[in-house]
Order: sequence, then C-alpha cells, then structure tokens
Amino acid sequence: MGNLKLALFLAFKSIIKGNRWALVLIILVMSLSFANLLLTPSILWGVTNTLNRQQIDTLYGNIVIDPPPTEHYLSRASLIEKKIEQIPGVTGVSAHLNSSAFIEYQWKEKDSPSDKGESGTWSVIGIDPTREIDVTTIHEHIIQGSYLDSNDRDEIVLGVEIAGGDRAQTAEFLRLQGVRIGDEVRLTDPNGVQREYRVKGIFQAKEMTQADRLAFVTKTEMASVMGRTVYGDRASRILVRTGQGVTESQLIQEIRSLGIDAEVRSWSEYGGAMGGIVSSFDVIASLIGTIGLVVAGIVMFIVIYINVINKKRQIGILRAIGIKRNVIVGSYLTQAIFYAILGIVFGGLLFGYGIQPYFELHPLDLPLGEVSLTVRALTISSAILGILTAAVLAGLIPVISITRQRIIQAIWGN
Amino acid sequence: MISVENLHKTYGHRLAATHALKGIDLEIETGEFVAIMGRSGSGKSTLLHILGLLDMPTSGSILIDQKNVLNLTEGEKARFRLEKLGYVFQEYSLLPEMTILENVYVPAVCLGSENGYRKRAAELLRIVGLGERLKHYPNEVSGGEQQRASIARALINRPKILFADEPTASLDIASAKVILELFKKLNREMGQTIVMVTHEPEDEKHVNRVIWLRDGLVDKEPKY
Repeated sequence: MGNLKLALFLAFKSIIKGNRWALVLIILVMSLSFANLLLTPSILWGVTNTLNRQQIDTLYGNIVIDPPPTEHYLSRASLIEKKIEQIPGVTGVSAHLNSSAFIEYQWKEKDSPSDKGESGTWSVIGIDPTREIDVTTIHEHIIQGSYLDSNDRDEIVLGVEIAGGDRAQTAEFLRLQGVRIGDEVRLTDPNGVQREYRVKGIFQAKEMTQADRLAFVTKTEMASVMGRTVYGDRASRILVRTGQGVTESQLIQEIRSLGIDAEVRSWSEYGGAMGGIVSSFDVIASLIGTIGLVVAGIVMFIVIYINVINKKRQIGILRAIGIKRNVIVGSYLTQAIFYAILGIVFGGLLFGYGIQPYFELHPLDLPLGEVSLTVRALTISSAILGILTAAVLAGLIPVISITRQRIIQAIWGN
Repeated sequence: MISVENLHKTYGHRLAATHALKGIDLEIETGEFVAIMGRSGSGKSTLLHILGLLDMPTSGSILIDQKNVLNLTEGEKARFRLEKLGYVFQEYSLLPEMTILENVYVPAVCLGSENGYRKRAAELLRIVGLGERLKHYPNEVSGGEQQRASIARALINRPKILFADEPTASLDIASAKVILELFKKLNREMGQTIVMVTHEPEDEKHVNRVIWLRDGLVDKEPKY
C-alpha cells in the first residue's frame, strides 16, 4: 500500500510540477494522435457507408423478396405487400415488375431498319410511384421534368446514363444523345411489343451510376406490355424499407414466418461488385488505422522517452535512497496512463465537437457521393486501446531500461 | 558495525581493466564519524558506493551488523538502503518537483503513517536549520540549504549509517562549515554513524578517524 501511495505521489508531483511545456506537448501529441486514429478510419467507413446507403436508397431497399428459384414472378403481389406492411418496423413496400427493353431515340430519323441510330438495351422497371417513394429515393433525384404519377401510361422516367447529355458519365456510345423532357423514346420489349413513351423525367442518383442506368414506367403499363403472363397481380421483386434501428435479420425472419413462397434476403446479399469495393475499403480502413496507430505510438514514444531520459538522474537518486524499482516504474506508468487519458479526452472533444460537426456541415464531395464521417464503436475502442497501449509502452520501456542500469550510472546521467 | 574484507573493484576487461580497489580491509564501529580520504583516483568514492550498496564489488565481502549485504537480492538491497542507510551526495540531489519538506519525507512514505513522517521531516528540517523553508522548492533555496535538506532526507528513516560523498565539494566555505558542524552535531548528540568521503585536508579535524586510501588500498602510513 505504501509503495502504491508513493508511486502515485511521485507521479502526481511530476505531473503538477514538471515541465509545463513537456506536459502540454505530450498531451497535444496524444490528442492529435487519438483524433487521427478516429478520423482516418471514419472517413473510409464513411465512404463504405455512403456506398451502402446508396444501394439501399436507389436499388434494393433494406430487404429484397424474390420469387422462388423455380418461378419467374411472385404471385398475388399486392397481398404480400399488405402482409409485410403490417409488420412493425416496415416503413415501405414496393413491388417491381422488371424487364429489359431496346430503347430508341430519334428513331424516326433512321435511314433504314438496320440503322441502329441512338439506341441501346436497358432495364425497365414497372413501379407503383406512390409506393415506390416510401422505399427508394429516385424521386428525390429528378434533375429534369418530374416523377411518375400512378395513372401514367405512356410516360417514362429515364436515368441520366440512359438519357445522355452533359451530366452523364458513361461513354457517349453507351447512352442516348441528350434526351430532353417531352421527347419521345420507343421501347421494344423482348416479347416484341413496341411502344412509344414521352419522357416525363430524368433522374441522376449521382453517386449510383448503376441506378442511373434504369428506366421507370408504371407497373400497370409494364404489366400491359408484358401481357397475359404477368397479368394478374404478379411482381418480379418486392423491396421492403425498414425504419431506423430495425434489425434487418430479425425482420427477414418475420417475413419468412408469413409463409410466403419467396426468397427473402438482405440488400447486402445483392451488393455484388459494390460489396467487393466495400470489403476493400474495410481492409484499407483497418490497414490505415493500424499504420496510424503505429505512427502515433512512435511519436508518443519519442516524446515520453525524451521526458523520461531527462529524469534519469532523478530516477538514480530515488533508487539510491531506497525507493524500489517497481515504485519508480509504477510512477511513470501512472504518468503515461494519465497522459493517455487526457489525450483521449481532449482528442475526443476535438473530434466530437470540431472535426465531426465540420464534416457534417461540409461533407467530402467525392465522385461516389457526399461522404461524411462514420464513427464505429470498434474504431473508438481500438483507438482508446491503441493510445493506452502506446502510452504504456512509451512510458515503461525507457524507465525499465533506466532502472536496470547501475544506480551510479543513472545518477551520473550516463 | 561495518566489516570489509579483501574488497576488489575492477572496471573494464583485460587490457582495458582499471583496478579501482585492490583488496580493502577495514572496520567501522557504531557511532563513529569516519572520513575516507585520499588523492583523486585513490578509490574513495568507489569504496563509498560499494559500502552504500549503490554498486557491486568484483570480489570481497561486506558485513553490516553481521549481515553479508552483498548476498541480498536487488529488492532486498533497496529495502536495506531505505531502512538502514542514508545518503548525502556530492551534488544537489533533491527532486526539483517537490518542496523541501516533501523531498525529506519521500523515503518514508513507503514505511510510515503520513502524520508520523510529515512531523519527523519537519522536525529534521528544524534540526538542520531549515524550519522556515518547508514549503520552498529546491530552486528557491541556496546550495548549502539544499545540502542540509539532503542530510535531513538521509536521516528520515533513522538510518544506522549515514554515507556522504564529498558533501561540501559544491559549496562555498561558509556553507561547507555549516554542513560539517551539522555532521559533528548529529554524531555527537544523536550517536549517528557517519562515513564521509572528502578530499579537503581540513575536514580531518572534524571526524573521529580517517581512513586513507592510496591506489585502491588502505594506506596505513599516510604521508600527507
């Protein structure tokens, strides 16, 4: 007990009456290191979070219900929609009728039937606009014209990567050449049905070029094009949106328990190539976090090491007057932990009240979207653990090394 | 009290070896005030460091109160230094972050109750003439006062032996005289055993006995 008391007393006096600039410098290094340990992974997690959010918002919702492997369509789609809507935590359900279509623009100007003109094949999705707005955010990304209404039959909404124009990002030969609102496009369904539509709106999900290569018509219109095979309340896919804080896996179990003959999956299972990007960012985030920790550890080590080396003579004198080695080590360990705790507190305040709000107000405008910081509990706990470990090592190694020297050498400062 | 037999200390190896002590034999009795004197390089500080368990000899034995102290572990030596020995170093050795009072009672924190060691530290500081300086920091007092505080610190755990390594070397004549008078007083009035290394010939008159060293050996017929 006496040893502990003395170790704490020595640490207290050293902190209170030691070199103020050294104290400020050590805590500053600790604080910046801690903030850095939070910042870098949080940006990368922010990127992955943005990518994930975009997939949910524009392509999949939170939960995707597909027909069983042996079927092309879900039957009695509206009944399924109603059943799922009853589940607590569900905020939107929207059935899709998916097809692909050969879309032509300015086809009337073609010289011959073999002239491809401005055309291409894209996915066309039939939706109920009033339901869709509860599930995806495509309606929020209209850049020209307007979104579909429930009763629209001969109108279509095109993604910007189909319509073309200045804002499209894909190569010119892969898109139409600047379709405008009110222009007409002609769609040829795989079953040969050909219809002309007036372009009602053009959307750009911006970050999600995959979504920008979609075209939307009303589900009623799509069903009429697809004909008898899908008439009768069928759907290719049903998307489900959940509220904040709802666990997807739990909701999936509840939907499965409804006894619907369908495949129920989380959006993340449809990530595809995007899932690979997210995984890569996860690896990069971990790697950069580790490097940041090592660099922070080395910087802290150097600063604390110099501080301890400067007290070599004092350590020698303490040993000479009979203070045990573990008391001296304990005193420096206490100081290191104190520095680390202050660094964590100040670094946390800097991050929480400075850096994070700044990024919320001014998110990074990257090509893949606006990225703000995503702070994970694991990032915080790793950073805390990292700072504490680095501080403890930086405090312990030099003092252990000095206390192993001959007392006389330490007193002489050799 | 202290019995030293055939004590050797060699620094370095083979051709680079320096034989600081070449077979010291000596006895110091309880209550003695002994000065170890000799020319520079005679081995007096090396001997004091070894007697004070701050360094290890190459060979030989040291008995303090019949106990072979060279067989103690590092932890036991630290405890022995804390409880039985006191040190006054050549240069100021107070911890700059603590007040004079705190410096004095630091070695006692592990051993006694707070009231006990605070009171004793204050009492010792009064004895060495620093009763008014308890709350001053080392850089706020003179070199002589710092050295007196070091003496008070060395006495806080009531050591059996007080070692002093050229305690007046860094002081002016007046301060040095005060320190030596203090040692004499401690020895005479409290029976404190003191072993002091010094190179000042006039210190001889303050001590009970001088052990002269020459080239790492006790000089039994000094010619100074």
